[in-house]
Amino acid sequence: MPGHAQGPDGDLIRLQGVSKTYRLGAVAVTGLVDVDLALRRERFSVVAGPSGSGKTTLLNLVGCIDRPDKGRIEVRGTDIAGLDDDRLSDFRARTIGYIFQGFNLVPVLSAFENVEQSLRIAGIAGKERRERTRAMLASVGLADKAAHKPDELSGGQRQRVAIARALVKEPALVLADEPTANLDSATGKQILDLMHDMQSRLKTSFVFSSHDPQLVERADDLVTIRDGRVVEVRRAA
Amino acid sequence: MAQILDLATRNVWRNRRRSLTTMVAVAVGALSIVLFGGFVANIFVGIETTMVKTAGHIHVYRNGYFLFGSGDPSGYGIARYRDVMRLIEQDAEMKPMLEVVTPRLQLSGIAGNFAENVSKTFLGVGLVPSDRERMIAWDAYKALVPVPSYGLDDARPEEAVVGVGMARMLHLCRALGGKNCPTPPAKAVAAQTQEGAALAALATAEGTAEGTADGKGAEQAPAGATARIDLLAATASGAPNAVPVTVIAAKSMGAKPLDESFVVMPIAQAQRLVYGRGEPRATAIVLQLKSTSMLPAARARLEALFKSEGLDLEVLDFAQLDPWYNQVRGMFTAIFGFIAALMAVIVLFTVVNTMSMAVVERTREIGTLRALGMRRGAIRRLFLAEGAVLGLIGASLGVGLALLLAWLVNGSGMTWTPPNNVEPVPLLVRAAGSPSLLALAWAGLAAVAVLSSLFPANRAARLEIVEALRHA
Ligand SMILES: Nc1ncnc2c1ncn2[C@@H]1O[C@H](COP(=O)(O)OP(=O)(O)OP(=O)(O)O)[C@@H](O)[C@H]1O
Ligand SMILES: [Mg+2]
Repeated sequence: MPGHAQGPDGDLIRLQGVSKTYRLGAVAVTGLVDVDLALRRERFSVVAGPSGSGKTTLLNLVGCIDRPDKGRIEVRGTDIAGLDDDRLSDFRARTIGYIFQGFNLVPVLSAFENVEQSLRIAGIAGKERRERTRAMLASVGLADKAAHKPDELSGGQRQRVAIARALVKEPALVLADEPTANLDSATGKQILDLMHDMQSRLKTSFVFSSHDPQLVERADDLVTIRDGRVVEVRRAA
Repeated sequence: MAQILDLATRNVWRNRRRSLTTMVAVAVGALSIVLFGGFVANIFVGIETTMVKTAGHIHVYRNGYFLFGSGDPSGYGIARYRDVMRLIEQDAEMKPMLEVVTPRLQLSGIAGNFAENVSKTFLGVGLVPSDRERMIAWDAYKALVPVPSYGLDDARPEEAVVGVGMARMLHLCRALGGKNCPTPPAKAVAAQTQEGAALAALATAEGTAEGTADGKGAEQAPAGATARIDLLAATASGAPNAVPVTVIAAKSMGAKPLDESFVVMPIAQAQRLVYGRGEPRATAIVLQLKSTSMLPAARARLEALFKSEGLDLEVLDFAQLDPWYNQVRGMFTAIFGFIAALMAVIVLFTVVNTMSMAVVERTREIGTLRALGMRRGAIRRLFLAEGAVLGLIGASLGVGLALLLAWLVNGSGMTWTPPNNVEPVPLLVRAAGSPSLLALAWAGLAAVAVLSSLFPANRAARLEIVEALRHA
């Protein structure tokens, strides 16, 4: 993919000494503690770990929707600490696609419009926007459902729309926090196949969080965390 | 922008019932403002029209008359007033503005029905009956407020019209008839007899002495059922004078004190009473303009004209002549302002409530859009646009409904009697005819709706993405 700049050594994401602590009143809850981590580009990376271990926290930081208390985060060579809120928004709009566990489609928009919305936010206009939207809906197998509103679609179909929405802007990075947790295992597998297929076609980098063994098996890079610390990084060839 | 409006409109229809309730609140606000404003506008127009019909736009007085001279018509009469009128009428700048230019003579004295041995002080005005007919035809606003004719005639200067109260007190009711004009009980008549007789003697003695032009003295007034009365006043030379008049009608004058003392007659007769054989004068030159909007220009021109001609005259407009006009305007403007403010506050609370609920309900969606890269400003605009859609639809609905209701009311032929009026006037709501009122209600409430969304919209924009996404 042209324009997908990379870190000096080919890493898409680099975390150095990243910590995040949540405050619940007077109580401090550990999110992440002193995480050093690099994730390669154009890979299918999975963050695994038990509930409450910090998977979502890690994805939020990597996805630039949250900021660390300490440490440095680079995505595609950009230090996100140096970006103000609007620049960070623009950075997300161009660089990062999101797939949520609960799909999070905009209910008043049709499948087509939900996908198109992501291109609108990225500032892509007119004809190109409509054509890319149409093509992407077709490639997730929903060409005939373009006019349907989210509540007229099944869970699997909704997640396909969400995948199309994340991928249509051809982002360098797609983040998915437990994308199959709300689906039955057969549908989950289909969704997984679709994402795998899209990843190898588009050469986009995917980062997932999951306890789903199906997903863990397929990971190129597998990061295991526990109590906010990275305990293992396994890299396939 | 179009996309934001489209999205906002769709979101408005998401919670149909809540949005409709909000729009209805905005619509009721707009409706109230337009209907009440239209009603008030009609009151203003009615009052103005009545004043312009009866008093004209401008009175020209001898300097000082307005403050000091109204009790002294002889001392403050405008000398050679016909020349002044001609000067005004022939001025190139004044000419296109003028509808009527007419003299008036204000006077006071005692009116007696000596056949019945009763008398009473009177306030009188002498005017040109044909000019007054032209003045009461003025209706620049189509206000349809009727001002009845006195039925006087330039050619019959000895005829007069009095207030109903005046007619009652002078025992003219049997001769004139009419509503509210009963014949008094016998006892009251007896008590007045002495005073009446004394004045009758005076009228007989002095009326002929000073001399009236047509030679008809008070003593020649026929007694009985005809409504003949004598008017007594002091002439310019200070001598008492009297003229007879035939009361042809009693008209209700609205306010009671005026009703019980008012006499109107052709100016010739009034001049005869006040100036005797001396030079006839007028206390006022009354100007009626084609439109009230010409008033400032006309005023300025008159003042310049009088200055350059060295005339010691003052110029007063109808609002100055009768402070009641500005008082009524002020009162209704205050009530209108209060109602408008109340409606604005109701709209404010309703929209704040609706939009705050919308923001809370859509917290996750806001988080999602922000994660997709939407800026805080765009989120803010989205909710402001939603407030604007609520406000605009509601206000349009309200204004439209107000126009419809106003049309129905105006067509229904309902009437009402404003304070100080004698006859009922049509109940009109000037909604369609008041574009600035419509614009004020429409844009004002839409603006209030947008402003009310500002607070919830800012809250939506400030949401932390991660927190918003965790929201159930
Ligand atoms: N906004 C928050 N406020 C307070 N504590 C939080 C917040 N978000 C996360 N935490 C806490 O931080 C720790 C890590 O949470 P995180 O959501 O990252 O875990 P997770 O691995 O995604 O868990 P799960 O598998 O259940 O989704 C947990 O103890 C959690 O309770
Ligand atoms: Mg999680």
